[in-house]
Amino acid sequence: MSNRYAYFIGCTTAFRSPNYDLSTRRVMEKLNIELVDINDGGCCGFYYEVINELTYLSMAARVISMAEDEKLDLMVVCNGCNGSLVRANKKLKENPELKQEVNNVLADIDREFKGTIEVKHYVRVLWEDVGVEKIKEKVSNPLDVKVAVHYGCHLLRPSEDIRFDEARDPVSLDELVCATGASSIDYLEKSLCCGGYIMASNQDVAYKMSGRKLRNVKNAKADLMITACPFCNIMYDANQKSIERELEREFNIPVLHYPQLLGISMGYSPKEVGLEQNRVRVNPKIFK
Amino acid sequence: MDLRKELQDDIDGETLNHCFSCGICTGGCPSAIMTDSEYNPRKILHRVVIEGKLEDDIWLCTNCYTCQERCPAKTKVADLISLMRRVYVKHNNIPTFIKPLVENLASCGFTQIIGDLENKRRKRMGLPEMKHNKEIKKIMEKTGGLNE
Repeated sequence: MSNRYAYFIGCTTAFRSPNYDLSTRRVMEKLNIELVDINDGGCCGFYYEVINELTYLSMAARVISMAEDEKLDLMVVCNGCNGSLVRANKKLKENPELKQEVNNVLADIDREFKGTIEVKHYVRVLWEDVGVEKIKEKVSNPLDVKVAVHYGCHLLRPSEDIRFDEARDPVSLDELVCATGASSIDYLEKSLCCGGYIMASNQDVAYKMSGRKLRNVKNAKADLMITACPFCNIMYDANQKSIERELEREFNIPVLHYPQLLGISMGYSPKEVGLEQNRVRVNPKIFK
Repeated sequence: MDLRKELQDDIDGETLNHCFSCGICTGGCPSAIMTDSEYNPRKILHRVVIEGKLEDDIWLCTNCYTCQERCPAKTKVADLISLMRRVYVKHNNIPTFIKPLVENLASCGFTQIIGDLENKRRKRMGLPEMKHNKEIKKIMEKTGGLNE
């Protein structure tokens, strides 16, 4: 098992969710995993996939090349970065002509994409590289809460490119939640998208989509929800009040970044995983 | 150029003609469910293949890839919609709701401007500072990504 990764947080975590960055670093430290920061690398190119392919691939290849310089696999915390970088990495490794075209662009900024590393979401690192058993060994404060797990989309799909877990019936994040002592509850439409991607083009539809999932989670009587992507977290946590107003419905569901939950089970205080920054108030008593 | 040819010639366009309009994509599509199928990936594919037309509704895809996972004909529905968006941008410019992202990327290398406020908060939390970069702008200029 590798215990060093290049670490990249992308834009949204940096701008909106420093508590996600903080809690990820905490749990990795507890697992003796060293993170080599390329955190201020900039954008992974995600949005450019729908604007201009060469711009997208060049932006993604630039970030990947930074990890290649460190001779380390690249660990990301955002499903958007995961989708963008895993797919660009695969596409460029498989297409020498595209790779050459991208390297012509990167030459201007003294960079080169070589195709020597893998890109991994931290959920993949935890589930495949570290393993649930090893994580359980570090749990000193087992939790007794009912959790609704939200995988998000680009952690799993498109499965042909991402090749992680079972895209249609995933278990990785559920098992990682259970490792904390908590239980992962079943709920309706678990794979439903958060809608964050279309916030800018159509907020009404995006809110309806998120509201539908919050309703399903509420109906299943979950104590809290966890996410593994800053976009999904913003939709369900930061936007929850607006969604409640829009849909005239109360949810009041705490939404944690997965490393916050894991961190608390490892003995960190709520403050040490930045829980006070979550918008829907989380009563720390539920973790006693 | 004929739109169909333009889509088909792209590396992501090879499954364009796999679709036989069964509608499974639309049955599982979150945007279709939220809009009573007013947003309809089956119709979008049909329209582009039969009529060679693109309309604004392509921007309502959430890129969740549920359609692509379920398609019995292995049509890369979501990838095709991303490709349609790129072709749309080529002929119609970048939609106004994406513009701010593009501007931020060009000015600082991130989709949002990470300023003093964010960095002060990071410092308080013991997190390393985020630094702006100009490399992204250079990439955008060189690849035509600024669409100017």
